[in-house]
Amino acid sequence: MNNKFKGQILIAIVCFVLGLMLVAQFRSTQKSGSAMTSLQRIQELTTQLKTVIDERERLRTEVSDLRKRLNEYENSAANISQVTEAMKKELEKARMVAGLVEGTGPGIIITLDDSNVPKQPGEDPNLFLIHDEDILKVVNELFAAGAEAVSVNGQRIIATTEIRCVGPTIMVNSVRMAPPFVIQAIGNPENLESSMKMRGGIIESLEVFGIQVTIKKHDKIIMPAYEGPVRFQYFEPVKAGE
Amino acid sequence: MLFPLIGLILGILAGLVFPINIPLSYAPYASIAVLAALDSVFGGLRAMGEGHFNVNIFITGFFSNALLAGFLAFLGDKLGIPIYMAAIFAFGVRIFQNLAIIRRHMLDRLFKRN
Repeated sequence: MNNKFKGQILIAIVCFVLGLMLVAQFRSTQKSGSAMTSLQRIQELTTQLKTVIDERERLRTEVSDLRKRLNEYENSAANISQVTEAMKKELEKARMVAGLVEGTGPGIIITLDDSNVPKQPGEDPNLFLIHDEDILKVVNELFAAGAEAVSVNGQRIIATTEIRCVGPTIMVNSVRMAPPFVIQAIGNPENLESSMKMRGGIIESLEVFGIQVTIKKHDKIIMPAYEGPVRFQYFEPVKAGE
Repeated sequence: MLFPLIGLILGILAGLVFPINIPLSYAPYASIAVLAALDSVFGGLRAMGEGHFNVNIFITGFFSNALLAGFLAFLGDKLGIPIYMAAIFAFGVRIFQNLAIIRRHMLDRLFKRN
């Protein structure tokens, strides 16, 4: 009888261990179920991203190649006659307007960075970040003050440039960027600076939220050219005289 | 029959109270170990029904089966052989066989008493 009792106790212990194992297993499957699938999804997305990035690199080199070839054609054509020479000058001007030419000139450099004011509980953290609208307003103000060329983090602002929120980053010319934002503008440095520092102006409203703004006048700013593709799919020009 | 049930319930309660977490990378091996343990328990129940139950065999079988099954699954993973599939198949089949035999013993006992 005593022996049998001991056996029962031992079996109870085994069952105890079994119960423990069952619960631990149940827990781990409940937790890992979703994590496993998301891991798979991450891998999938990573490979997708990689192929797209490769594709973009390839296209980018193609664009620069084609640009170079175009340049060669123009130069060889300009040698032929004075008419083409004049046309080339005209083309150069149009390019400058379009923002396809790199250039230098006096102007200002504005640096915007997220607020370093310690956040108070209950306050909206969005107030202390730089948004697309802030950059849009600064760029707009610069053009209003007579800026001839503006770039954001090395992306030249042209007629079709977008400045837009994409998740936590801002997209300019389809290039994603994060703070700090360096905005360069070529124009009369005095005018540009005073347009920024205007009372009740854009800088003042940004500094309320602690956004760090520095403005520097510069004698020689190197303004990059627009590097993306120029494509007109729907637009057709109307010929003069028609 | 009462002690095992009490043990099982206590074990489940202990598992619920103390959060035992199996690391994610070991979860598949732990699942094989659980399956082996279940198989051992059902095997024990069957032996009880047949009347040749031995406590020592039962307990050593329980632990060595669980550990070995987990280890073999781990080894198979390292070697690229899906041993865990064989384990699931073998243990699964045996669990159901044992269940059927246990049921028969229980029915036998029931009708004999009547």
